This record gives sequence, structure tokens and C-alpha cells, in this order.
Amino acid sequence: MRELKIGISGVRGVVGPAFCPELIIDFACAFGTWVEGGPVVLGRDTRRSSTMGHAAVVAGLLSGGCEVIDLGVAPTPLISYAVRELRAAGGLALTGSHNDARWNALKFLGPDGRQLNAQVGEELLDRYHSRDFLQADWAGLRPIAEAPEMVERYLEFVLAALDVEAIRRRELRVAVDFCNGTCGALAQQLLFDLGCTLLPLNEDPTGEFAHPPAPTRANMRQLAGLMRYLEADLGAAINVDGDRLGLVTAAAEPLSEEYVLPLAAAPRLARRPGPVVTNLSTSRMIDAVAAAAGQPVYRTPVGEGHVLDRGLAEEAVLAGEGSGGVAVLPQSMTFDALLTLGLVLEAMAGGASLAGLVGRLPRYPMRKGSVACPPDLLYRALDFFRERFDEAQPDVSDGIRVTWPDAWLHLRASNTEPLLRVIVEADTEARAEQLFGDVMALARRAAVGSQEV
Amino acid sequence: MAGSISLKIGVSGVRGIVGESLTPQLVCQFAAAFGTYTGAGPVVVGSDTRPSREMVKQAVCAGLLSVGCRPVDLGVVPTPTVQHHLLKVGAVGGICVTASHNPIQWNALKFFGPDGIILRQNQAAELTDLYHQGVYPRVPGPETGRIARDETAIERHLATILAAVDVERIRARRLKVAIDCCNGAAWAATPRFLEALGCAVVGLGLEGDQPFPRNPEPVPENLGELCALIRREGADIGFAQDADADRLAVVDQAGEPLGEECTLALAARHVLARTPGPVVANVSTSRMIDDVAAEFGCPVRRTRVGEVNVVEEILRRQAPLGGEGNGGVIVPSLNPCRDSFVAMALILEALAAFDGSIRQLREQIPSYAMLKRALPCGPRDVGPALRRLRRAYATEPLDLLDGVTIRWPDRWVQARPSNTEPIIRVTAEAPTREQAAAMVQEAAEYLLGG
Repeated sequence: MRELKIGISGVRGVVGPAFCPELIIDFACAFGTWVEGGPVVLGRDTRRSSTMGHAAVVAGLLSGGCEVIDLGVAPTPLISYAVRELRAAGGLALTGSHNDARWNALKFLGPDGRQLNAQVGEELLDRYHSRDFLQADWAGLRPIAEAPEMVERYLEFVLAALDVEAIRRRELRVAVDFCNGTCGALAQQLLFDLGCTLLPLNEDPTGEFAHPPAPTRANMRQLAGLMRYLEADLGAAINVDGDRLGLVTAAAEPLSEEYVLPLAAAPRLARRPGPVVTNLSTSRMIDAVAAAAGQPVYRTPVGEGHVLDRGLAEEAVLAGEGSGGVAVLPQSMTFDALLTLGLVLEAMAGGASLAGLVGRLPRYPMRKGSVACPPDLLYRALDFFRERFDEAQPDVSDGIRVTWPDAWLHLRASNTEPLLRVIVEADTEARAEQLFGDVMALARRAAVGSQEV
Repeated sequence: MAGSISLKIGVSGVRGIVGESLTPQLVCQFAAAFGTYTGAGPVVVGSDTRPSREMVKQAVCAGLLSVGCRPVDLGVVPTPTVQHHLLKVGAVGGICVTASHNPIQWNALKFFGPDGIILRQNQAAELTDLYHQGVYPRVPGPETGRIARDETAIERHLATILAAVDVERIRARRLKVAIDCCNGAAWAATPRFLEALGCAVVGLGLEGDQPFPRNPEPVPENLGELCALIRREGADIGFAQDADADRLAVVDQAGEPLGEECTLALAARHVLARTPGPVVANVSTSRMIDDVAAEFGCPVRRTRVGEVNVVEEILRRQAPLGGEGNGGVIVPSLNPCRDSFVAMALILEALAAFDGSIRQLREQIPSYAMLKRALPCGPRDVGPALRRLRRAYATEPLDLLDGVTIRWPDRWVQARPSNTEPIIRVTAEAPTREQAAAMVQEAAEYLLGG
């Protein structure tokens, strides 16, 4: 596994020799230079290494003459909101997001509150590599500012996107696992305003993770185990920096993250019809929901930046991914777990249970797997699949995605590890099983360089 | 500027110009090297009021955290407060973010060991080696610490000093004191301290959020405003501190600066009267200290220039006091470093016990004229120049501890290469100005090979 990943969407690494404060300072200096010493909104998640990273970022930004508007512990969507509200030149989130406790990362936001796109990300990387940073002299150094009023205004912004009255009438009991991340206090106030009773779990902003932070089914077992005692209508897991959501039914069944986007889409499209954007790896459930509302679905390569960019270009009303990250467009410029949770509550406002809502969605069996593949063989392996499925006219914008009337297949190289990722979804269990088995077998052979089939 | 290097990495720490050589990357690496040197544990961190303090301090904290240390942020505090607090809380080390008496565009890191003392030469060399090696034992993310805040450092520091002087006696004298804190680290503490001693305080440079209104070095040419304030307000005495409040200069009731060389002599005369013992001063300190020590039959031990050399000798000789001619007074029983609060307390106690003005108290000690001159001299020419001087004075009482010093019973002349600039500093002290000038001139001629 690589311990450091420097890419156009930010820099991410295992804290220690690789992700060290000097590297963080260099990136903060590069960003400070990119915003030409303008004001930068800064927030961090709760993990222990974020204190170290935060100090390094502040030092780097200040040295470039930036005014640092420090939100302290704050989820990424709040930082994004504050960048726009305060008309800052950019934003910086110090968060390992859904990665485990050993990791941390810098997410860079542009003046529109969105993660830097590929072009701008390249500029930042060039600046980092050049080591040619803006350096303010003593008289050009700015103090550190705070903006505590942003919390209240952000909550008002979230409420404005929801049917508050409908949700209030339901008086839902909502159990939320915050993974001791950034959203505990915010969610308490939000759910109070929505007339819900919050039953919190891991709500202290200590950064001590009781389980890995990604809101996957496996990581929601603790929450699911408590559901029957809590008598909650809904269980939710919010990852450490508040961009991804996971859901558990009242009957303590953890749902795949794939359900979040289609569940949130139904109330959004009902009140504000428009296109939906998602990535090539996300379940076709969203197609069914959009079709019911008479709306198109556009697909992009995997990554928050891709779906948001396309979403804005298509004037979409929702953009999201199968990982549980959803952005309400055009308001949000990042995935926002609290707002997504609000939409799920709105979906339940009509009286349905979460399991009932899930029951209305088509059930598409999905299989996910990965095959270790040396980096030097990855390209050839993908090329092999491209030829193999040539007659099905695959989409090759991100790995290779093949669509049949009753199934689809997505094969791509992992961004972080020397792995080929395989995702298959089909109309029936049998078809999914057969397709997945075939593709995995082919992938294993391709991964050792064999071209025989 | 071609050929000028604004970064200085040496025994007294790391110093540079912000926006030029003192980058956050460099500061962070030095802090990581220091944390490697001290090992994991709490490290107290303080700063003076320079606008670059926050940038530098955050870089320090990042570096410390990355190697498993736990920074304890003391906020804006005088350097002696950091050292005092370090000992009180049993930290594994301390860092003060201050360029002391240097102008505002500078900043620096001063490093202290677990004994509260600025790193000794060999310790500083080890720190520099660790920095140059550039390999630090970074701790994994889940094991990194948090930053603690401790705002009690000033209170505890002042309490230690107040407990050691006769507060009632000073209070009874009801002195009016004018101060100039240079908007430095002591801007809040000095008025409080003097009020606790029953003084009426009038002050300058008490805005800690503003840039320095004067050059922070407390030498007479920088103290015009304070002198005017004393005359205007009719104060009994004036005190001026540098930006990190380790050094003190005294001005008399007529608004005449006594000169920073008098601070140690006044404090020493007061301490030795009660606690006789050896006195330690560096080779460049006024011979007033010899007269004061002789008054009480005490020996004077001279050291190389540099605070740590004086502190080490004080501890070795179990001296009740020592210091430097630049206004630095060190009383090891109170704080193992130059401490302007200790100096103020001792001088006020002496004044309270004395039936007369600060000028009259100063006149209890003989006066000398001290003259200084900087001779341009490239690094390669320093050795030959000093050898010429030694040869010329071969039959005179030579002191070769640091540069070349020739000491006669009532005067001395000295040549020392600068640590920071390509110059030789020539200093002479004699009963009259003319004598001192002639001595500087003669030494300069020998040095230049005339």
C-alpha cells in the first residue's frame, strides 16, 4: 500500500514519515500562493493527528500572508458553506474523511466552495513542486480570525432545503452514530429543529474511532446492534467529516451505502424536478427513481469533483455516489451528510418506514470485488477488458464500464492501491453471480499478465 | 543584498528574517529536531508579541506533535517566564519564539532543556546535528498528542519573585515608576508586577497587539520617550525592557539613562550585601562589577560571552548572582536565566532600603566610560589581527578567554570577532572618555596592522 497519495483532489497519507508536517506546510504554502494571500476558511476533523496537521496548515497559510478564518473542528460541508458566505479566496479541510485513524488528508476548496477541479488541481501541484511560494514579511502577516456565526447560518441553510413542517409532524426517533467525528453538536441542533429525537452514539468530538469511519454495512454493526433497544425509527451513520451517510432500518438491518442516493432523490425530485448525476459505479436504483419523476441520470467517472462538475453543467438538482455521498444542487458545493439525512427524513415524512421506502426501490443484486495487480500490468489488464467487451461499446472514461440490458460491469484501477476493482450489478442474483464470477476469473488472469482466455 | 545571509543557526538558537529565511518549514523541522532531542513529553512554548509569533508558534507545535511531544502553549509571555514555568511543571523542554532585542522583522527560537537552562554548547550542537540529519522519529497519527493551554505561567513566575523580596518595604516607599515595555511580551505583566510592589505606574509600550514603537534593545539611544515621560511625570525611576523581557535598563529620576551596564552592578551590590559569594559576568561586562564585588570581598569569575556560559559558571561556582553588561541579571535561586523582573525587584528593594534617589544609589558605584567600535574584518583576517594585538600587548595582563582582553587595575580594552557579522568589536572601558577613546584607537591600529 502506498502511504502517500498526492493528486489533483488533494493530498492524503498515513501520518508519520510520509504525511509529515513539513509536507503539509508545503501544501498550505502552495495553496496560500494559489489564492494570492487571500482569506482562507480552515476546518479540521476530530482525529488526533488533525491537531498536528491544523498547526502545520495555519503556519503555512499565515506565512503566505493569508488571513486564516479558523472554524476549528468542522465538517467539510460547513467549511464549503463558509467559504461562499464569507467570500473567501478558498477553503481547506484537514480530514482523513472515511479513511481509518492512521490516515489524514488535505482537501482544497476553491472560492466557490467546491473541491478543486483537475485543471486547478494541476496548478496547485505545479506550485507545490516548484517550491516557489508567496512569503509575506512581518508587516504582511495577518492574524487568525474566527467565524462562530457560521454554525447557525449553515443550519438555517440546511433547513431551507427541506420540508421542515412535514418532517416536524412525524416526530421521528433518530439514532445517529457520529464515529466521534465533527457532526455531533450540529446534528443535535438540526434534529431538534426538525422535531426529531436524537439518540446519539459515539457523539463526542474526540476522534477516538470505535469502528472504521466509512459508513459501510460492516461498520454500522454497532449501531444496528443497538437499534432494538433504542426503539428508533431510523439509524444513521455519519462519517468523520460529515460528507457521507449510511442508514440502518428500524428492524436493525444496515443498508448498503448504495441506498442513500435513491432514498434522498425521491423527495428532492418530488419538490424540485431536474436531472441527477452519479458515477459509473453507482447502482441503477437511481435510474428507476429518476425515471419515475421523468428525469434523466447522467454518469461520470468516480469522484466527488466529477459528479459535482457535471451536476452543475447539467443544472442537476442532485449529485451523488454509491458511497453514500450526496450533494443537493445548486446549493451545496460538497457532499453533505446532514442535508442528505434531512432528505431521508423528508422521504419518511409521508408516514413510510425506512424499510418501506427501501421496499419500493427495485432490488438489483450487486457484487464488488478486487484483484491485486502490479501497477505495471494495470493498463494492459484494462486494455484486455476493453478489447474483450468491444462489441458492447463500453464507456472508457474511467476504467471500463460495460452496460447490457440486464446488467452492468465496472472495472477500474484503484487510486490508492495496486488493485483492480470489479463491480457488477444485475437484475437477478443468478446473472450477477455468473457475470461477477466470469469477470473475476478474467481479472485474475489479466493481473498476472496472461492474455489467454 | 548579495552576500548577506539573514539566517543564523547557532548556540543560542535559530534566528532569521520572516518572509525571507525564517520559513515555517525550517521552524517545523527545528521543532521536530528539538522534540527528537528531548524525547516524548510536555514541551512548554511561549512567544513575545511580534506579528510573526502565531505563524512561528504553529509551526513549532506541528513539529513537536509530529515526534510525539505535547506542546503546552503559554501564550505571549516573557522568556524568563517560559524557563520558570518549565521547571514548575516538569516539562522535558521549552521553546520561546522571540528574537529578543532584535528588530521586528526578525524572529527566532530559543531552546531550553529540562533544567530550564538555554541549551549548552554541546547540547545545541547535538540539536543542530539532529536537524542536519533530517530524520525524525515521527509518531503514527493515532498516537499524536493535543496542544494544551496554560495561562498561569505569568502569575506563578511573578509570585516566585514577590515571595523572595521584602514587598512591604518596597510598598512603604510608594515609588512612582515609569516603564517602557516596547509593546513586548511584558506589556501586561510589568504594570501588574510593579503595582503588586505598591508602585504608581506610568507607562509606554503597553500595547501588546501593536508593533514595537522603538528598537527593542534597551540602550540609551532607544529610550528617549521613556526619559521624557519620567521628566513629565516626575517618576522616581524608569525601567525599560526588551521585547522578551530578559534584559532591563534603568533611567534615573532626572530622565538620564544609567546605561544598561549599571543594571547588573546595582543588583549585585544589593545581593552581595546580604549574600556574599562569587559573582559571574562575561568578559565584556563593565568593571563596575569588579568594584562592587571588591566592596564585599567577593571574587568575580569571567566567562565567554553568551548567556549559557554565564549560567553554567554561576551553577559551577554556586554564585548567588551573575549576569551580563547588556542588562541581564541572573539570580539562580529564582530563575536560571536573565530575568528583568528579578532585576526590577532587586533594584527597587535596594532603592527602598536606601535613603536617597536612584541617581545617588548609582553614585555609590564608581563610573567609567565605555566605548565600542566595529572594525570591518573578513573571517580570514580575524586570526592574524588578533595575533598582532596579542603580540603588541605581550607583556601586559592578557585575558584570552574570548577574543583578546587586556585588563589593567582601572581599565581594559578588548577585541572580539562578532558571531554574526564580518567585524571585530573593539571595546574599551576607562575612568574617562578620552582614555577609553585612546585605548580603542591604539588597539584598532594594532589590529589593522598599522
